[in-house]
Amino acid sequence: MTYERGLALCLVLEVALFASIGWNFFTAGNAGEIVRASAEIGLLALALTPVIVTGGIDLSVGSLLGLCAVVLGVTWRDAGWPIAVAASAAIVAGVVGGALNALLVARLGIPPLIVTLGTYSLFRGVAEGVTAGVRNYSDFPESFLFLGQGRIGVVPSQLVVLVAAAIAFWLLVHRMAAGRMLRAIGFSPDGARYAGLPVGRRLAGVYLLSGLCAGVASLLYVARLGQAKADAGTGFELMAITAVILGGTSIFGGRGSVGGTLLGLATLAVLQNGLRLADLPAELAGVVTAALLLAALGANRVLQGRTHELH
Amino acid sequence: MSLTTTHRRELSVAAAYGALLVALAVFAPTFYQGANLRDVLVGAAPVLVAAVGMTLVILARQIDISIGSQFAICAVVAGLLAKAGLTMPIAAAGALATGASLGALNGVLVAGFGLPAIVVTLATMVGLRETLRWATEGVWVQDLPPGFQWMGLGQDVGRFAIPGLALVVWALVAWGMRHLAAGRAVYATGSDAEVTRLTGGRPRRVVFAVFVAMGALTGLAALLSAIQFIDVQTGSGVGFELRVIAAVVVGGTSIAGGRGSLVGSLLGVLLLATAGPALTFLGSQAYWDRALQGVIILVAVAADAFGSATRLKARP
Amino acid sequence: MNFIKLGGASGAPPRPPARCAGVWPERSEDPLARLHVVEARSNPAPLAALTLTLALALALVLGAVACRGGAEHGKTIAMMPKNKGNPYFASCRTGAEEAAKELKARLLWDGPTETDPAKQNEVVEAWITRGVDVIAVSVENKEAISTVLRKARARGIKVITWDADTEPDARDYFVNQATPRGIAETLAGHAARLLGGKGEFAVITASLTAANQNEWLRQLRLVLAERYPDMKLVDVRPSDDDRKRAFEETQTLLKVHPEVRVVMAICSPAVPGAAEAVKQSGRTDVHVTGLGLPNDARPYLKDGVLDSAVLWNTRDLGYLTVHAAHALATGALKPGVSSLPAGRLGAVKVEGDQVILGTPFTFTKDNVDEFHF
Repeated sequence: MTYERGLALCLVLEVALFASIGWNFFTAGNAGEIVRASAEIGLLALALTPVIVTGGIDLSVGSLLGLCAVVLGVTWRDAGWPIAVAASAAIVAGVVGGALNALLVARLGIPPLIVTLGTYSLFRGVAEGVTAGVRNYSDFPESFLFLGQGRIGVVPSQLVVLVAAAIAFWLLVHRMAAGRMLRAIGFSPDGARYAGLPVGRRLAGVYLLSGLCAGVASLLYVARLGQAKADAGTGFELMAITAVILGGTSIFGGRGSVGGTLLGLATLAVLQNGLRLADLPAELAGVVTAALLLAALGANRVLQGRTHELH
Repeated sequence: MSLTTTHRRELSVAAAYGALLVALAVFAPTFYQGANLRDVLVGAAPVLVAAVGMTLVILARQIDISIGSQFAICAVVAGLLAKAGLTMPIAAAGALATGASLGALNGVLVAGFGLPAIVVTLATMVGLRETLRWATEGVWVQDLPPGFQWMGLGQDVGRFAIPGLALVVWALVAWGMRHLAAGRAVYATGSDAEVTRLTGGRPRRVVFAVFVAMGALTGLAALLSAIQFIDVQTGSGVGFELRVIAAVVVGGTSIAGGRGSLVGSLLGVLLLATAGPALTFLGSQAYWDRALQGVIILVAVAADAFGSATRLKARP
Repeated sequence: MNFIKLGGASGAPPRPPARCAGVWPERSEDPLARLHVVEARSNPAPLAALTLTLALALALVLGAVACRGGAEHGKTIAMMPKNKGNPYFASCRTGAEEAAKELKARLLWDGPTETDPAKQNEVVEAWITRGVDVIAVSVENKEAISTVLRKARARGIKVITWDADTEPDARDYFVNQATPRGIAETLAGHAARLLGGKGEFAVITASLTAANQNEWLRQLRLVLAERYPDMKLVDVRPSDDDRKRAFEETQTLLKVHPEVRVVMAICSPAVPGAAEAVKQSGRTDVHVTGLGLPNDARPYLKDGVLDSAVLWNTRDLGYLTVHAAHALATGALKPGVSSLPAGRLGAVKVEGDQVILGTPFTFTKDNVDEFHF
């Protein structure tokens, strides 16, 4: 029994539980809603997986999402740019934010926890400053809102973006040499350095990717809600990190899987949705999430001992 | 080694703090009214107490992001005990004991079961806060006996005693870290737990103790904060852990453990506690506050990293 | 114990060039990992803890299900506050549950626990999936929620807003306790009375992005320009719904702007925070007013620090909302109706698409003891 199989089993049991106690849980429409609600956090969690595999962390992704949303609003409404250009500007803003993190972590060697703690305040703060906290951008064109509210065939439009990102990250982490390098860096940065791996460049790369995904996620978010405001994405980083850890990635780095992250994301999304449909209070979701997280850590610890691995 | 190399980080924080104070003296001299300085210190006292605990935790190469939720629970416990008619010393002891038990929970999971601290405390942070919210629905603990505010000592004594007590706690722990074997054990565990174990130390016990201490100190911080008012808000302490960690980190304690000092943490607390009101005095608009605080943190940590590649590590 | 190397691995290999900086400066592994790997094989504790945690989680869920309440009879009314951790909404809830019991309706009370703008949308989506008769929302983000509320109406679910409105075509009715303009006028009136028509005052608000407060501020500035041109609003400071923050901001405010004579706190945790700050400062020439719950305001009203607190009967608001929702579901409330019988509130006025609870009410030290919420 590997960890991932255990998690998949847990997910199946969860779905079965909510199918029985929830109203209309087990319907196609509801499945679509679950995907819609978790698409942005899913993107962030996918981007955080390689970051955490390198032994780092990025607490600033939620705030960066907020900043990108504000950039979208400002360039589209105040500067009058066409929506496609404004959307690109939002993505570029995400990359710039990621570059700041990358510079401080990879170039200056400051621990990522502290860098991203600072940028967590900085990005949200700039978003609040630019809008004076007050300004709210809405009335986006239908073509843009389709991204968050439309359907392609029977599936929500976010699913396409999410699937594309999942495939891309899976390739990166599990099939490309860069992925192996990330694992090596996470396992032992000094060892990787002496083995001749371009540690600085790889680290910079994962933080840039994380910023890029925050930018794309901000587009999905604004399209879904129909408004862009400085408080977009509040609390998303904790949910994303929870999904990654639940998926079996070790917080210390060196080990992790994209499939696990997706399973972890699904577990959390199903939990929140199922509890709502079962008329249970929202606080229960938080408590059960905490319990699942601890259980996941415990399971990892047990399985480590079984297979005689150090990690 | 000269003082400047061993205490490099503390000196740079002190320099930054000095620069802020000078800027205030030039551009906003009204900052230096007695009443304002006193209020800043009273407000900083709970953060200082918690920063003392967080310094120990980070020195031991762990972290605790659940102290915000612990803070809220301890404040509510103090309020409920006072409301139930118990005397203030007992209510205070109750708050500290609650904090210590919550810290022990973290300690058992981290030291006993070997789970990573950041994820454990993430889980306890979410779990504790949601449980509190569920139980109270946000309703404040009100109609407390008049002896609750300032522990019945009155405003003037209270506003002097709160920062005074925080400084005493800080001084005691700082002395202990320097002169007691327990203090050295924390540094040793944070530097290299395996070597510590092999040379006769007990790293697991140290880690457990550090989390319990963190919890108890959070309880004290919650008490010092709660007794400034006549009732207890159940949703307090949101974002508290970030303020405390920022102060400790800005003060020079290394997140990798084994390096740092309580002097640095004191300076970090003072710097961040002054920065908030300073921005208002200097005329900055409220909506730029968060951005400026982020810049302060980043500048403080980046400035240090611009040093030479082979810098010597500071003595604890 | 001189051989213990404190302060890090100074015996490590020479540091590599600064360009290739590391992530965690020393090793990245768990400092206690090596202590546990050997034991994990034979130590049953982690497995026991794991099973226990999962069992606990399952027990919690099943327990909550059991306490859910019996089969529904009558209508299902789904009611959402702006967020669940707020005593203001807790008091609305007591009124709502009272009405639901009277009407024998099933009341679902759910909402975001944190201020996440997207969460309200997700809850409404869940209710659409679940299938309810009426949705009643206190709106956090007007534009954001209108899309999903329109979707609910398209599916035949009735929609009502209460406490804070959305776009008019996204809901059937709005249960209004007081218009933003009415609130602004009442607050400005109190400030004008305390300032004698001219002087400086400051506002403590919730968070900078809070939609309700921003609307009230906007109206306040309009009222000031029209009626009280000699009064100046010098600053607006956020409290993030935290009493301590409101306290600290007011303390700073009093020193940065010593000419301020009135502090107006426009969210309920800020009222006691600001009042306590003014009291502790000893500035008897400064008065406090604002929007707050009577329970929070009472001690300061009695003291004299707080001059007045403006609000409405939150319990009645919840009560009326459920009655209106129920009437909407049964068809008793429809266009053209000008009065709605609402249980113990009697006949309540309906103006167009708004159900009016009343005007803002001012709590003073003379009347505050009659209210307990």
